[in-house]
Amino acid sequence: MKGRGLVAGGAAGAALLSRRAFTFAHGVDPSTGTVTDVRSDIRGENVKGRVLFYPFGKGSTTASSWFLESVRLGNYPCAIVTEGADLSAVIGSVMAKVIYGKEIPVVSGVSREEYSRIAAGARVKVNSSGEGAKVEA
Amino acid sequence: MHLDASQEKLLRGEGGEARRFAMEIVTRVGDAVGASSLVPVKSAHVLAHYSSLHDAGVDVLERFASSGGKFAVPTSVDPASIDLQNWRSFGISEDYARQQFRLCDAYAKLGGMRCWTCVQYQVCNFPKQGETVAWAESSAVVFANSILGCRSNKITAGMDVACAVLGLTPKFGMLEDENRRAKVAFKLSAGSLSDVDYRSLGFYIGRKAGARVPVLEGLPASVTSDEIKHLGAAAAAAGPVTMIHLPGITPGSNTSSAATGGERVEEFDVSRSDLSDVEEDLNQTHELPDLVAFGVPHLSVSELGLLSNQLEGRRVKKGVRMYLYTSGQAYEMAERTGIAGAIEASGARLTHSTDAEISPLKQLGFRVVMTNSAKLAEIVSSEGEIKMRYASQEAIIEEVTG
Repeated sequence: MKGRGLVAGGAAGAALLSRRAFTFAHGVDPSTGTVTDVRSDIRGENVKGRVLFYPFGKGSTTASSWFLESVRLGNYPCAIVTEGADLSAVIGSVMAKVIYGKEIPVVSGVSREEYSRIAAGARVKVNSSGEGAKVEA
Repeated sequence: MHLDASQEKLLRGEGGEARRFAMEIVTRVGDAVGASSLVPVKSAHVLAHYSSLHDAGVDVLERFASSGGKFAVPTSVDPASIDLQNWRSFGISEDYARQQFRLCDAYAKLGGMRCWTCVQYQVCNFPKQGETVAWAESSAVVFANSILGCRSNKITAGMDVACAVLGLTPKFGMLEDENRRAKVAFKLSAGSLSDVDYRSLGFYIGRKAGARVPVLEGLPASVTSDEIKHLGAAAAAAGPVTMIHLPGITPGSNTSSAATGGERVEEFDVSRSDLSDVEEDLNQTHELPDLVAFGVPHLSVSELGLLSNQLEGRRVKKGVRMYLYTSGQAYEMAERTGIAGAIEASGARLTHSTDAEISPLKQLGFRVVMTNSAKLAEIVSSEGEIKMRYASQEAIIEEVTG
C-alpha cells in the first residue's frame, strides 16, 4: 500500500485496525496504552508497539498531548497510518522526536478499504519519507 | 509549503532553538494539510491545562520557555485544571496543583496574558473583523469565525504554542475564502428557545453538518452573544464545526444565499422534537447529581447575574455541590457588585480560572454530574466513568435546591 509520508521514519509491528474515527484524548489511557473510548471499535485493545490504523482523527484538539504522554510513558504505537491526515498524530509525533527522541512514522492516504484487507495482528512494515510512504503487510 | 527567506532562517535555527522547534511543528503540519504558505496572525490562544497536557505537556511548554521562547503576538490562555486561587478548598492535591503551576510558570515566562478563560473574546483578547488569528479552544474558534468575522483554524495543542511563538500559522482550511462558504443549511422552527435549547441546537448541527460549514436560519432576533457562545460550543463538541453562518449576524453573510455563495445545499429542518432527542441522548441517568456544573464555556457577568436571581431564596440540597465556572475578571466583577455573595448565600460556589471539563472530576470523587452544557456532557460521557445528566438551568435549580 502506498500513502503520503507525513512524519518520516521506519517501523514494524502487529497491525491494530480501527474502522472508526479515533482519538487519544480521553480515548487511550497513557499509563497503560489501553484504548478506553466507549465509542471505539477497538476498546480494550492495547496500542503499545502496534502499527495503528484508523480512518480519521476526531474530538478534542488536545489529542496530540494525550498521544505525547503515552510516548513519555512508553505505551505508544510504533507507527500510525490513516486515511485522512490527522493533525494530532502529526504534532504528537513531531514533539515526540524533539522532546523524547522517539521516531514514530505517520502516514496518511491509506483508505479504510485498503487497510481492511490486513488481518488483525498481522506483522506490518511502515516506511515513511518526504518522497512517499510504503505500508507492507 | 513555500517558506520565505526569513522563515527558512528560523527553520535552520538562526532565530534560536524555540523558534526552530516551532518552525519544525508548523512546517510539518503545513505540509500535511497542503498549506500554501505561512501567514502572520494578530493574536494567539493556547492551552496550558494539566488534565489534557499531562506531564508530557509540562515538558513541551518548559522546553519552549527554557530555550528562550517568547510569544510574538498577544496570547491568551484557556482555563487551568484547578482554580488558581482557591484550589485547596476544592480538594485538589498538592501534587496535582504543582504540575499545573509548572504549566502556569512556563506560560508566564513565554509572555502570555494571564487571563485563564475559554471566552477570551469576552475578557482579554479582542481581534477586529477580518483579522487572522491562531486560536485553540474549539468554542472560541467558532465564535471568532462566526461572530467576530476573524479567520482561525482550530489549532491543536502543541501547534498553538508554536504559532504563538512565531506569530505565524499555515494558510489552509478556514483561512481560505472557498472553505468558509456554507455547504449545509439548517432551518429552525422550534418556537422560543431556553438556555438548554441553544446547546441542543448547536449539538444537533454539529452532528449533522460533519465537515461541512453550516448556515443556520430562524434564530430569534432576541438571541444574545452568550447564547451564541453556547450554541457554537455545543456544535464544536459534537463535530468538526469551526464556523456557523448566522444570516444578519455573521459579517459578510447578510442572507443565507450570501453564506452559500448562491449555491444550492442540503437543508435540514430543525424541530422541537430534534432538540428533545438531543436532550434524551445526553441524559444517562435519573439519579440525583453530586455535582451541578454551570459555565462550560465560562459564564459572563450577565449570566452570573441571571443565575443569582434564579438562586435567590433557595438552598442547594445536602449532598449536592453546585459550581459556577467563570473567568477571573468576571469573578472579580461579581464580587464587587454583590452577585458573588448572592450566589454563595444559596450554597453554590463561584470558581474561576478553571472549568469543569478539564478539572479532575473523577479523582475528586464525582459520580453523577448535571449540567446545561452539551459540551461538558459529551466530553465527560465519552470516558464512561461519570454519568451525565443534561437539562435546562431552571429545571436543574428546581431539582437540586429547596
